[in-house]
Formats: sequence, structure tokens, C-alpha cells
Amino acid sequence: MLYSIAAVPLNIDWQQILLHLLNFVILFAGLYLLLYKPVKAFMKKRQDHYAEMQKNAEEQNAAADRARSEYEGKLAAVDREIEEKRAAAKKELDGYEQMRKNAAEEEAEAILNEAKKKAAEEKRHALRSARREISALVSNATEKLVLKETAQEAYDQFLAAADKAKRSEEPRQ
Amino acid sequence: MSKKRTAVFVIVTAVVIAALATGIILTDGLYEKAGSVNETMQDAVLHEGDKISLFGMQVNPALISGFVVTGILLLFAAIVRIFVIPKFSYIPNKFQLLLEQAVGMFEGLARNNSPHRNNFLGAYLFAAGAYICIGTLFELLGIPWVTAAGASLSLPAPLADINGAIMMGCLSYLVILSGGILSNGFRGVGRTLKEFSLPISMSFRLFGALLSGLLVTELVYSYLALSFVLPVIVGVLFTILHALIQTYVLTMLTALFYGEVSEPPVLKPKKQKKIKVPSEVTSK
Repeated sequence: MLYSIAAVPLNIDWQQILLHLLNFVILFAGLYLLLYKPVKAFMKKRQDHYAEMQKNAEEQNAAADRARSEYEGKLAAVDREIEEKRAAAKKELDGYEQMRKNAAEEEAEAILNEAKKKAAEEKRHALRSARREISALVSNATEKLVLKETAQEAYDQFLAAADKAKRSEEPRQ
Repeated sequence: MSKKRTAVFVIVTAVVIAALATGIILTDGLYEKAGSVNETMQDAVLHEGDKISLFGMQVNPALISGFVVTGILLLFAAIVRIFVIPKFSYIPNKFQLLLEQAVGMFEGLARNNSPHRNNFLGAYLFAAGAYICIGTLFELLGIPWVTAAGASLSLPAPLADINGAIMMGCLSYLVILSGGILSNGFRGVGRTLKEFSLPISMSFRLFGALLSGLLVTELVYSYLALSFVLPVIVGVLFTILHALIQTYVLTMLTALFYGEVSEPPVLKPKKQKKIKVPSEVTSK
């Protein structure tokens, strides 16, 4: 019998070794098909999924970087344009201010000249009226002096008339 | 002597007497286990008295253990395949994480040790690791079985049988050999045959480790005095340690040797022949 022939010391039995081997081969095939392969496939699928996600994220990052640099360039151009327009506006404003200032100065000078002219006219007018009054007073005084008997009296009347004329003249100045 | 001191004296004396009596009882030969360790070890190796009938064949109990373990693992795998794997999500739960860790660990072991060829190796390491680990832990269940003689026994670990250990060692060697042949042809065969002692060492390492565990357990169980708390440590902890260590050792050795023999040869650059310059030219 093969069993008894195959038996060797230490109870090593080739038939039982083959039975163990058959058992393990079945186990190996079953575990490979039922557990190892599906779990590994799922892990691979997840790894691919995250790799794809990372790739997409990197692409989006690169696109965002490109768009950002493009917008930064546009912003810089707009800033330059704004600065130029601001400078031009400032220049125009300065010119306008200068123009207004000149006009105001001219107007002020004209007003001043007019005032001076008017003051001089009034002064002349006041002097003329004062002279007229003085001459009237003098003629009155002279008339009275001539008519009065005493010189002293006439002289006092003259002084009083002069004093009155002077007081009436003072507030006008 | 006060009453208090008298009471203390009496209590201490009683405790000492009780301890001595317990020691005397525990060290009595009557409380030793029947049968010698010799017989137990002989049974563990030869299985002369505990053969089991399988379809008319007289087989060792470890073979039945192997079938039971395979059945348990395949049933578990089928349940996981049908009910768990279809519900896998990209953010794993604890059980999914455990499965992925188990598969990833052996796949990583294969990839790290054999970067050139590792698809089959990863699957083999996974199956071998699961078989050794779960098979060794299986003996903790102590599933009862009836021998051909009608006696009862608890099923041992599948690799506690020398035939199972030889199968595992030799199969690992054949896997290594196949890797060498597929990668390097005859050079791979040469590299594998160089390690001719590998199947023997791998087989007997597995068998010896489990047998030594059995020996230690039997020695501990032989004495009643040691059978109070110690068996919990010896029986459970040693078995768990054996399972983990033996799984690691066999899978690591297989992966290492597989990687070694399947590594493509490094071709040395050919030396250019020096052109001999006549001495007349050099002298000029």
C-alpha cells in the first residue's frame, strides 16, 4: 500500500502533506478571489481617484496662477492709466485755479482802484464844500465885522464862526 | 499580654499554618498530572493514538484543523466579499480599515522586498499569513473532535503537525523557486538552489516553534501548583505571540528570498582591452 510505503519516521506522511497542500491551495485561491484581489482593486481605485483629484487640483492651481498673473498685469495697466489721468486732471485743475486767482486779483485791483477813485472824489467834494462854507463864513464874518462897531466883537464873532465851521467839517473826514 | 496582641498572635499563627498546609498539599505527588511529559510530546509529534478517520484515511488531527480553519477563513472571506466590500467607501470605517491594513501590509511586504516582481508574492504572503496566524489562534478555541479510536480530543493548530509545517515550508520554497525561474531563468534556479536548506529550516522552524509552545504548556500543566493563574498567561499569551511571530517570520523570510532570487542581474560593463603600444613608440 502506498500509504504504508510512503510513511517515514517522525510521522512524516506524504499523503497528509499533499492533503495539507490541497487545503492550502484551496484557501489561497479562495482568499485571493474573495478578499485580496477585491480589496487591492478598491485600494488601487481609491489611489487613482485621489491621484486624479490631485492632478485636477494642480491643473486648476496652474490655471488660477495664470489668471492671477493676467489680472495683475491688467490691474497694473489700469493703475498706470488712472495715475496718468489723475496727473492730467491735477494739471488742469491747477491751471483753472491759477486762472481764477488771476481773475480775482484783477477784480480786487479794479475794486481797489474804484474805491480809491471814489475816495478821492469824495475828498475833493468835501474840500470843495468846506471851502464853500468857509468862504461863506468868511463873507458872513466880514459882513458882520463890517457892520459891528468894535473890532473886538467882530474878531470874536469871526473866531466863533471859524470854530463852528471846523466842528461841522470834522465828522465828514 | 494584652487582648489585642493575643489576637494578632493567633491570627498570624493561623495564617502561617494554613500556608504551610496548602504548600504540603500542592506539592504532594498525588496532585501531579497522570502521564509523563514524554508521552505527551510523543503524542504531539507522532499522533499514534489520536488518528482521525477522514474518508477512510487515518489522518492527524491537525489536518482536520487545517480544513476547519480553511472553511472558517473562506466563509469569512465570502461574507466580507458579499456584504462588506460592495459597501466600501473612500473614507473607510474601522472594519474596512482593518481589511485594508491586512491586505496592504502583505502587499507592502512583497513590494518592498521584491520590487521587480510581487503580484503573486503579495497574494501568497496574504494567504500564508492568514493561515498561520488564524491557524495558530485556532487552538485556543479547543474544538472537540472524536478520534478513530472513539476518544475525544481538542483540535490543535494545523501547523502543530509536522506534515502541515513541511507543506508550508516546502511550498514557500517552491514559490521562491518559481519567482527565480520567472525572473531570471536558469540563473534564478541557481540562486534558489543555493539556499537548499531553506525548505528544511522553514518547515522545522514552524513546527519547532509550535512544538516548543506545546512543550512549555505541557510542563506548566503537569503541576497542579502552576495551574492557577499561569495557564492563562502561558496558554493564551504564548499562543497569540506564536501566531504573530510565526506569521511575521515565515512571510518575511519568503519575501526576502523571493526578492533576492527575482532580482534582475546587474551586468558589469565589459572591460576594454588595452591596446599594447610598442615600446619603441613610448620611448620616442
